[in-house]
Amino acid sequence: MALRRILIANRGEIALRIVRAARSLGVETVLAASAADRESMAAREADRTVVLGPAAARDSYLNPRLIVHAAKATGCDGLHPGYGFLSERSSLAALCAEEGIVFVGPTADSIRAVGDKLSARRLAKAAGVPMTPGSEKLDTGAQAVAFAESVGFPVVTKASAGGGGRGMVVAPDAKTLVEAFERASTEAKEAFGDGTLYVERYVERARHVEVQVLGLGDGRVVHFGERDCSLQRRYQKMVEEAPAAAVPEATRARLHEAAVSLLSSIRYRNAGTVEFLYDIDRDDFYFMEVNARIQVEHPVSEMITGVDLIQLQLEVAGGELPRIEQRDIHPRGHSIEARIIAENPERGFAPSPGRIRLWRPPQGEGVRLDTAMEEGALVPPFYDSMIAKLIVHAADRLSAIARLRAALDAFTVEGVATNIALLRRIAAHPEFIANRLDTRWLESVFLPQYREPKEA
Amino acid sequence: MTDIKSQDIEALLETFDGSTWQELHLKIEGLEIFVSKTPGARAPASTGAHHQAEQMPLPLTRATVATAPPHGTQPSASGSGATPAIPEAPAHWVTVRAPNLGTFYRAPKPGAAPYVSVGQKVDAEMEVCLIEVMKLFTNVLAGVSGTVRQIFVEDTELVEYDQPLLLIEPA
Repeated sequence: MALRRILIANRGEIALRIVRAARSLGVETVLAASAADRESMAAREADRTVVLGPAAARDSYLNPRLIVHAAKATGCDGLHPGYGFLSERSSLAALCAEEGIVFVGPTADSIRAVGDKLSARRLAKAAGVPMTPGSEKLDTGAQAVAFAESVGFPVVTKASAGGGGRGMVVAPDAKTLVEAFERASTEAKEAFGDGTLYVERYVERARHVEVQVLGLGDGRVVHFGERDCSLQRRYQKMVEEAPAAAVPEATRARLHEAAVSLLSSIRYRNAGTVEFLYDIDRDDFYFMEVNARIQVEHPVSEMITGVDLIQLQLEVAGGELPRIEQRDIHPRGHSIEARIIAENPERGFAPSPGRIRLWRPPQGEGVRLDTAMEEGALVPPFYDSMIAKLIVHAADRLSAIARLRAALDAFTVEGVATNIALLRRIAAHPEFIANRLDTRWLESVFLPQYREPKEA
Repeated sequence: MTDIKSQDIEALLETFDGSTWQELHLKIEGLEIFVSKTPGARAPASTGAHHQAEQMPLPLTRATVATAPPHGTQPSASGSGATPAIPEAPAHWVTVRAPNLGTFYRAPKPGAAPYVSVGQKVDAEMEVCLIEVMKLFTNVLAGVSGTVRQIFVEDTELVEYDQPLLLIEPA
């Protein structure tokens, strides 16, 4: 049964993106917003908006019962969680199932299976996906040291319950590892409510490469190529591109196979991403984690393959399996996304909420802007401070960079501080242009240079 | 008139919550806002909400600051439950608002007498209605002593956060 009306339990650009994707499929939309977002662009374009609660996310976007109540009371037959907030909370998927609402995402069981990292590692192992040597869960620093000595230092601690850098400490030796273990566990407990840690071998020069897939829920899984998201600050992605041009083609094909076989094994349904760490020196890759949702950076995969992943999500969830076959998916050209964030890089990247006084976005061939901002809109202080995603597409990577630079130069925002000037410097950097990057380049090479006073 | 929007007020409240300030009194042209961290301070109005002990707690509502006209969805005033609109309610009358989205109930259970009716005297701690979210019921308190002058919402209607529920003339 195709979906007739969906509740969108999210905000910002992704809420607007879902409203438009649904509309183009003839699916009605109800936006469930917080009081701070009742006058947002998504609220204006949705067929209906209901205000869940006050601005604080815990009283609105993070309350599954409020959201499901809103879906039922407004006659929705589906619910799209977007990304972030409750998108990977199995309890929301389960509650939807109990109440007869189609969750536009994986089943609660799938979310649990891939959401817990140790469980995901077991799945990956069973599907023959390569892994970095890693431990099972550990209780003490001493156990961590014993494991580290068996695979060799450096190692990194990781939280079993979640990512985003919380609970992660790199330890070059036993002394550091013992000291870091308790701190990492406490951090994981505070962030995810679960302090369980495991330890992995640390790859010194790595790229973050991930494969975009779509599971149809009947065991079939197709992929839309891979993305390179190596430009990160504090494990937050800043620039993403597709394809991963620095990875040899044969390796890329193995990446796709690994991602598809991992998610086929659980008959995965929904858009999803399998993240890998690519070891530059060994030309090898290791499984990191599965993101069981649509991701922020999905547009670069759309640009090279010509699909609309949100529409595909809605079709799969509604049981109208899209007629899509792997042999029909042909990546073309190169796409780059830069995240435009209301923050001040000159002041330690402090968030910069406020009213947008002037908004002059770039336009033109091969330029796409996913945003819910406009002149006069307010960037509220309560949520993530990303205000737009600037996406370019061109025949090859160098042309795409040229397009990105022109678009960033043309982008003017006043009223809030942004990272646009910083993105311009990245896009013009010789090592970015030459694609000589790894996951630490931004923080260890670029930012120290950026902070130096410019020569006259 | 100023172009102050509801988001601005939310942002202001969040800033106030996070600050060490005790009181905030703001006047911009036609708009006047008074916020205080002292219970019982002379604020224009407040919404009280507490929870039945046996239920899982929902987050407590912060006292809502009353400003001039209610924004968001205007309540319907037709049909059996809601009472006809009072054209111009005096400024000191207090609007009780929904602490969150949910289903509005006038009575503790189906068939029972409603908590309150128009013309009835209430005190601040008296329950005036229920808001249900997935079988969890939150009692909404009058928040002020006085007389119920209007009920804006029909029984079992969906209400949104901050939507006006009742109008009370303070004693």
